[in-house]
This record gives sequence, C-alpha cells and structure tokens, in this order.
Amino acid sequence: MDLLTLSFAVINGLLIGGIYGGVALGLSLIFGVMRVINFAHGSFLMLAMYCSYLLWASLGLHPYVSILATVPFLFIVGYFVQGVVISPLFKRERALVVEPTSALLLTAGVYLVVDNIVLMAFGPDVRSVAVDITYESIFVAGLPINLARLIGFLAAIVVAAALSFWLKHSEMGRAIRATAQNRDAASLSGINVQRVYNVTFGLGCAVLGLFGALLVPFFSITPNIGLSFGIKSFLVVVLGGIGSIPGSILGGLLLGVFESVASQFVTATSAAIFSFGLFIAILLLRPAGLMGRA
Amino acid sequence: MSTPALEVRDLWSGYGDQDVLRGIDLVLEPRTIVALIGANGAGKSTLLRTLSGLLRPHRGEAKLYGESIFCLPPHKVVERGFVQSPEGKQLFLGMSIRENLLVGAQNKRARARRDQTLEEVFELFPILRERQALNASTLSGGQQQMVAVGRALMALPRVLALDEPSLGLAPIMVDRLFESIAKIKERDLTILIIEQNVFQVLEMADYGYVLENGVMTLNGTGAELLADDHLRASYLGL
Ligand SMILES: Nc1ncnc2c1ncn2[C@@H]1O[C@H](COP(=O)(O)OP(=O)(O)O)[C@@H](O)[C@H]1O
Ligand SMILES: [Mg+2]
Repeated sequence: MDLLTLSFAVINGLLIGGIYGGVALGLSLIFGVMRVINFAHGSFLMLAMYCSYLLWASLGLHPYVSILATVPFLFIVGYFVQGVVISPLFKRERALVVEPTSALLLTAGVYLVVDNIVLMAFGPDVRSVAVDITYESIFVAGLPINLARLIGFLAAIVVAAALSFWLKHSEMGRAIRATAQNRDAASLSGINVQRVYNVTFGLGCAVLGLFGALLVPFFSITPNIGLSFGIKSFLVVVLGGIGSIPGSILGGLLLGVFESVASQFVTATSAAIFSFGLFIAILLLRPAGLMGRA
Repeated sequence: MSTPALEVRDLWSGYGDQDVLRGIDLVLEPRTIVALIGANGAGKSTLLRTLSGLLRPHRGEAKLYGESIFCLPPHKVVERGFVQSPEGKQLFLGMSIRENLLVGAQNKRARARRDQTLEEVFELFPILRERQALNASTLSGGQQQMVAVGRALMALPRVLALDEPSLGLAPIMVDRLFESIAKIKERDLTILIIEQNVFQVLEMADYGYVLENGVMTLNGTGAELLADDHLRASYLGL
C-alpha cells in the first residue's frame, strides 16, 4: 500500500474518530456522574438522526439547521427518561448504591422500546439525506478532505472543550462534579441530586442531538443503526478512561484511525474484530483507560 | 416553653426492614449545644442520616421549629435549616477548598448571602482563607474538618449537626475545634454534636443524650450526666 492511500486512511480515521469521540461524550458524562451505563445511548443518536431526517424530508430544513430542534428535543427526551424511567431506581433505596446491573437492564429496556418504536413508525428502509455538503471536499496537501466529516470532527473538539469549561466554571457544573464525587455529601450540602441527574442525562443526550444532525449528510439511517454506535461509544469511553472528556475524544481518534487503517488491509467486518483486539490490548496495559484515574 | 429548634418523637428507622433506632425522642431548645453520646454502632449516625432524609424512617415525627421535616428529600431538609457535617468529613477531594465551601450554599437564602457567609467562615478558620485555592486533599485532618464544618455553615443552618467532628484529630486540634464550635454557637444557632470525647463535650454542652442500642437511655444537663454513675462507668471509665 502506498503512502498516499495510508495518509488518506489516517486522515479519514481521524475525522470519523473525532466524531466517535463526540458521540461518546454523553455516555462518558452520564457514567462519570451517575455510574449508569446507558445501553440506549446509540438509540438516542438514532432518534436524533431520524429527527433531523424528518425535518429535512418534510420541511426541507438543512440538517445543520435542524440542530436547533434536535438538540433541545434530545435534551428533553434525556431529562425525562432519567426523571421517569431511571430515577425510581435511585429512589428505591435512597441511601444505598444502585447496582450497575439493574441500571444496565433498565436502559437495555429503553433501547428495545426506542428502536422498536422507530422500526414500527418508519419500517426497516434505509434512508438518507441528500444535501450538497455530502460531496464537498477541501484539499489539503493534495488530499481531499470531506467537508461534512471535517465539520463533525471540529464540532466534537469544540463541544468537548465547551463541556469541560462549563463543568469547571458554572454553578450547575460544580454541582454535577460534586454529585459525581460523592452523592450523599452532595445531598447533605443541599444539592438536588435527582435534578442534577436529570440535567446530566439531558445534556448527554443533547450532545447526541447535535451529532445526529451532523452525521445524516454522510451516514444512511436505519432503525438499528444505534446499536453499532452505542457499542463503539462504549469502546471509546473505556479506552479513553471512564468519565474523562478529553479521554473520550482521544479514545475516539484512536478507534477511528485503527478502524480506518485496518480496513485497508482486511474487510471492514474483520476490522471490527481488530478494534476489539485493540480494546483488550489497551485495557491490559492501562486498566483505567488512557486518561482515566485508576 | 418556646418552640423547640428540633423535636424528634418516637422515631424508628434503619436499613431495609431492620430497625436500628427504636423509638427515639429528642428535643433541642433553641440556641443550645446538645451532645449525643453513645458507643460505636449505637445508631448515632443513623439518626442524623434519617433526619437529613438520606434514610427513610419507618415511623415517628421530626419537626424543625414546629414544621415537619419528616420524609423530605435531603436538599429540602437543608433548605429548611437542618444541616449536618457528616461523619468522616466527606469532602469533595477533587475540588479546591473554596469550591467545597461554595457547594454548601445551594438554597436561595444561602446563595443570596454567599459571599458574606464565606467571609465569616474564613474569619472562623483563617487557615482556610490562605489555602482556599488548594485541593481539599492537600489538607491535614483537622483542616479538612474545618472545611466540612465550614461547608455546613455555608447553607445557613438553623440547626447544625456535627457527626464526630474530632474523629482522627490530634488533641490540640480537638481543643481548637471545640473553641470554634463555641464561637459558632454565638451565631444564634442550635448545635447537635456527636462526640467520643465525652468529658470535653459534656463540659461544653447545655444538655446531653445517651444513645444505647438504638434507644435513648439517659438525658440531662451536661453537669447531671457527668455526675451520673452509669455514664461515668461506661463512657469515662471512672
Ligand atoms: N449502610 C448500612 N447498612 C446496614 N446497616 C448499617 C449501615 N450503616 C450502619 N449500619 C448498622 O447500623 C447500626 C448503627 O450504626 P451507626 O448509626 O453508624 O452507629 P454510630 O454512628 O452510633 O457508631 C450498626 O449496627 C451498623 O452495623
Ligand atoms: Mg457514627
């Protein structure tokens, strides 16, 4: 394989990897704060993609404009899924820790419900959004860079930076960090922990609202697309270090480049096997992930 | 008699179906220091956790200045004015001292007065002003305890509960802490303090209760308790 093909693969891997990182941000945030593995994470991304698609198909809205709707919509969905479906788990025994398995089963239920509702409503057909940006590229050193992917990549960096800044400097961000560190101490300091959880879950989903809309110009949509994104997000989060925002981006980049380069040598399906190999190798070397604190 | 600052009647509580507390009665007159004494595992922390809303009580009643705080969620209890500094400090170790203190001021009332209260906490514990930008994990045990008490004060409590504030502190730090607590009392609030330093706390307290196996077995003024034979034998080793 020549150098040109390889650099092209690396660049594409970085772009899609950044997007993987952006998609995984919410999963990492939610786990970092609530210790809940949201199995329905990918389903919420799928929901955002359908939302963006519908606005394009019915109103002719450009997917980038539909962000104005998908982000608040996903925030509200996340806020209420936590408030209505997940919070009873925390209220059941106020003082005791929620076991990860029960939260995982519960969100797996949410995944089944969301995916099947969408399947019922839209059928299994593959849908795609045709907008000009899909085919636009800019050239850097003679290599074409797809504009839609580049925008997704940049959005991931910006969102990660903004989220870190907000968590560090806002009142709500401080309450979220305090709750993540010590739930009981946060309650005893007067923090409304359930509200913090609602906002955290809402935020984690709102980020998916953004990436759903950024993905549709170059990603076709099916009701089961969520699962593969969900699994990738899980890999990314564990690779980068659970709860770490820069770790999420780093893990995404690593996975993206690895997948992209590996698929130059083998078929895309076997490349996925190699991704799991990478995953296991890194966890053997650094059990807490790349940026994680043990 | 005036309305008690805190009034607990026939409180039953525990973990799951198990009762740890079996019919607790407790009255705190306004602007007093009340000591709660008891061996390890007697249920002292369980009582505070229940009053704070972290544990759901099985039965009973708890009133703060005549208003029920029974079964409220923890942040509401804090808003009403019952605030505890929990056993083992429970600081947010990844945050600066200043941030730990600021977290304490959540409710509207406390938020509005936040800068003033912070200033008062710094006056009470000057070392915290110097170190405010440092991570809470860099402090000694005694200083961490100051942060924990300061954080509770930031919520503007009407009743402040301190769960073993002197745990793990050097004797000199314990003395200083007790001086600070006496100063806090001048702030027009009521203090419920759980302590293993029985002699020291009863000298300071206006009133005391003894909790044994989830039941209050003894109560009286500090002087009365210090003169009690059973208490002297069990807790002072005299
Ligand atoms: N999380 C818990 N789950 C079950 N039992 C507990 C828990 N915490 C404390 N206990 C039990 O409750 C009793 C009282 O404990 P605690 O209130 O911590 O005592 P104290 O503060 O007086 O030392 C003890 O017998 C203890 O074993
Ligand atoms: Mg205790």
